[in-house]
Amino acid sequence: MAEEFEPTIVAFLCKWCSSAGSDLAGVSRMEYPPNVVPITVMCSGSVSPLYIFSAFNRGADGVLISGCHPGDCHYIKGNYYARRRIALVKKLLEYIGLEPERFRMSWVSAAEGTKYTQIIKDFVKEIKPLGPQKKLRRNQ
Amino acid sequence: MVNLEELKSEAKRILKEGKVKYIIGYARDTNGLLPKPVFIKKEEEADKLIWDPTCVYNLTRFIADEKRKMAREKKPDQRPVGLVIKGCDSRALVVLLQEKFINRGDVHLIGVSCENTGVIDERKLQKKLKGKKVEKIEFGEKENFIITTPEGKIEIPASEILAERCLECKANFPVVSDVLFGEKSKRKAESPFKSLEKIESLSAEERWAFWKAELDKCIRCYACRSVCPMCYCDECVVDTINFAVTADTTAEEKAQKIKWLEKSPVASENFIYHMVRAIHLAGRCIDCGECERVCPLDIPLRFLNKYLEKQAKELFGYEPGFDPEQPSLVASFKDEDPQDFIR
Repeated sequence: MAEEFEPTIVAFLCKWCSSAGSDLAGVSRMEYPPNVVPITVMCSGSVSPLYIFSAFNRGADGVLISGCHPGDCHYIKGNYYARRRIALVKKLLEYIGLEPERFRMSWVSAAEGTKYTQIIKDFVKEIKPLGPQKKLRRNQ
Repeated sequence: MVNLEELKSEAKRILKEGKVKYIIGYARDTNGLLPKPVFIKKEEEADKLIWDPTCVYNLTRFIADEKRKMAREKKPDQRPVGLVIKGCDSRALVVLLQEKFINRGDVHLIGVSCENTGVIDERKLQKKLKGKKVEKIEFGEKENFIITTPEGKIEIPASEILAERCLECKANFPVVSDVLFGEKSKRKAESPFKSLEKIESLSAEERWAFWKAELDKCIRCYACRSVCPMCYCDECVVDTINFAVTADTTAEEKAQKIKWLEKSPVASENFIYHMVRAIHLAGRCIDCGECERVCPLDIPLRFLNKYLEKQAKELFGYEPGFDPEQPSLVASFKDEDPQDFIR
């Protein structure tokens, strides 16, 4: 019997909110799918579009960017810059023809462990029927 | 109308007075229809200057090169560079000013108006004339071009042979200039993003098939990058040639150097290259269409940049190339920026 497809999700989590949020989910022993590869970045605003393209290029099935809620950024306005830039990246990826479900952004605060687990659950559930991401993947 | 003699005498005057170190303009080439860029240093050479619908190049590109050249010189000539500038070039220059890459005093702008028309698409012209030899093309009075062939003069409405980007031009006169030749008048253009509809109407899978077929062709000659006035980075993400490897460079340092994408021209890598370029040009690209013109494989690169230009306009109300004081697109934000895509 063929094994069920398990997507790989690369999550760029900001150090101050989302990373702490995922940590909270961990220490609270909440259960969520193990498909996610968390990468802590200093701010969602520091995520270069190239990180996202590169993640898809190296075989990610989905990419998640998560940062502090607007107004809560540790660097005051980093997430506002991110919001603008990521909006453009999302539009571009859709324009190219990548499934829009594969890329998302969310706001997760340090207290929102439950929200984090819910986002990952939803994300995995949405990507599973799409199958592996082959469009931007490098042919090894 | 642009009076070429006035333009030449102005060029001679500023060269004679030593106001500029040289003038970058267009001159007739010995071969082919399209002109060549010229660098005029002496007064008597100024007679070479031309201005007609074949002047397609974006000369603003040379300003980025000039800055680099000056940085290498021990005692650089601080005088400004004279630049013959048309509508789209001037918008590119505004972006360079906005990014503080150059100062307004570094350039002396000799603006030329496109006379309500624009520049030609060479292929459209050849097709229209069915291979007839063209001796000269001039701007006409009524949004048309007067073409001189060995068999006589022909008048063609401009819209038939205009370059694609000129059909969607937002301002076919220089938005900044020190002296202006011709009128500040604008041709009535169709909707500025009409050409995009063709692709936007496709489904996601069709769009993918379209871009896959197009970008698969790319041979990564980087002509699009070389010709782009906005691609002035000292080091580009796609090549690490500026990474100095000396005798002291350790293996670890070399290993640490991130290689974002492979140089081999395969579809997956081409996608990353072109998407990164599109994102880097978001809110900066002023649609001079040079990338598409120089592409040896006819990849419709304009559609990538144009799409992000449209998104910048629709999502953030941002239009590049008009106001040097305006903060750039990704270096600014508004509280009311859309965030419905964030969950």
